[in-house]
Amino acid sequence: MRTELTEAQDRAWARLAAPGTWWTGAERVAIAAEARQALLCRLCAERAQALTANAVSGTHDSLGVLDPVVVEAVHRIRTDSGRLSRRWLDDLLGQGLAVECYVELVGVIATVIAIDTFALALGRPPRALPRPQPGVPSQRRPVGARNDRAWVPTLAPEDVGPDDPPLYAGLAGMNIHRALSLVPAEVIGFFDLDAAMYLPDRQLRDYGTEYRALTHAQIELLAARLSALNRCVY
Amino acid sequence: MVLLRGSGEFTGHGYDFSVVMDGSGDGGVPRGKLLMDFGAAVVGGDADSLAACRDGVRRALGEEALADAAGVAAIFNAVVRVADATGIPLEDAKAAASEKVRAEIGIDAFADGKA
Repeated sequence: MRTELTEAQDRAWARLAAPGTWWTGAERVAIAAEARQALLCRLCAERAQALTANAVSGTHDSLGVLDPVVVEAVHRIRTDSGRLSRRWLDDLLGQGLAVECYVELVGVIATVIAIDTFALALGRPPRALPRPQPGVPSQRRPVGARNDRAWVPTLAPEDVGPDDPPLYAGLAGMNIHRALSLVPAEVIGFFDLDAAMYLPDRQLRDYGTEYRALTHAQIELLAARLSALNRCVY
Repeated sequence: MVLLRGSGEFTGHGYDFSVVMDGSGDGGVPRGKLLMDFGAAVVGGDADSLAACRDGVRRALGEEALADAAGVAAIFNAVVRVADATGIPLEDAKAAASEKVRAEIGIDAFADGKA
């Protein structure tokens, strides 16, 4: 196995345990644990079978650590993301979940899903969650972030300021790169993992060179199938 | 989809995008069905099916390819959550370039059922 696959996951796991921008290390690990717990939630299972999620009410089977509005966000993103809507998100924000916290939460869940899915795919047990690291969140919001194309504010490449980290280094700044940009550290962290598991941006259209044991076409077909299976419109 | 088409244009292969929706064939990509079956098993939740698909990929393509396929399946199982949870749209240019094929194979129907 390519060493970068292992090293990128090690970096992601260390990042998961460290204080984030809006959540502490302990809260980030709790979100990760709740994302795993969502797979055992009876309410989520019932909703998955319903025509719409709103048709089934009840309480999530949670670990009891996080606020219920956070639990709802984690469980729905983990188990039913293809049917999320702006109205659903606005309802969560109306219940007091800060949009910056929400975006970081999405990044944490995506990281855990990627690493857990990798282990599952290879028939390995999931990694033990890391020990939370002490420290306080930086709470730095990019000055140039604004509402434009997503449900959440994003930071356009042209709006990155001198005080912002280089979140688009090595990236084309496509919409998917912008999705988490309200929390630049999540863009940097998630796409570090993406480059190892998929391909770095600069190699995506270099069809004349194969960088993996799979061809570009094999990679893209598998990727497209995964998106379809997850009912992803993007 | 855009990158799959780009790959096909570069190599001169015309891939069948419709297989992405039902996994019914290889779409013209060598070992494509094997890989799509593996992807479906990864998200399908059936351990026996996944073990069989994993062995199939390993035998046909090798250990390195299996790890790479696991990586692609893993990151795309995650990145769809990023897109879905933030409501980030497809770029206008990509949407226009893929409009016909998206309509033909039914991807646009995924927008239904959101609540």
